[in-house]
Amino acid sequence: MSFWETITGSDLTRDWKAFEARAQVLPADYQAAWEQIKGNLFPYAGFTGRDLTPIVDAALGLLEEASADGLSIGEVLGDDIPGFCAALAGGKGARTYRDRWREQLNRNVARKLGRLGG
Amino acid sequence: MEDLTEMLKGTLEGCVLEIIGREETYGYAITRRLNELGFADVIDGTVYTILLRLERNGLVEVTKRPSDVGPPRKFYALNDAGRTELATFWAKWQYVSSRIDRLREGGR
Repeated sequence: MSFWETITGSDLTRDWKAFEARAQVLPADYQAAWEQIKGNLFPYAGFTGRDLTPIVDAALGLLEEASADGLSIGEVLGDDIPGFCAALAGGKGARTYRDRWREQLNRNVARKLGRLGG
Repeated sequence: MEDLTEMLKGTLEGCVLEIIGREETYGYAITRRLNELGFADVIDGTVYTILLRLERNGLVEVTKRPSDVGPPRKFYALNDAGRTELATFWAKWQYVSSRIDRLREGGR
């Protein structure tokens, strides 16, 4: 990735355009699920959202494979899209913005307490 | 048998490893195999997230192969680390199930 792309986020825009183009050709019920998946993955994004790209790619990959197999979206994801997204984003390397923010806050508080001799 | 989700949680990953260990296969085929076994509640999405985790943890070889129905499919095979993990799973399973059986029989 070039410095310019990093600064402007143009690489991300391109990735998302490609994702949306892939989603466009999915059946209608799959497209509805895709919208829900995007919304549910958003909280797992880091500050730039770049760490979400492989996860979104994986989710789309499942939708593409499953629709080609002629499955209904209900058969694929059940009724728990948030749970599916948590499992997708879970594990290593997907620390959320909120996690980092909490850590920072805790460090700051610890430092302050340290200075106060608490 | 209905509603095994909670009970299966810790063991499904081992089941998926076992299926992949028998032959190279892909997501939906694994789901179907588990459904045929009698785990009707297991859905494609669940298997898919397990496969992603196995991939992240470096336990499987992934090969993309063209499919006659749609986009290329990801096929999974066990690597050495995966085989070790599978052996560990069966050892743990043996331990837990033997203890539970013993509990049921009222022994010590």
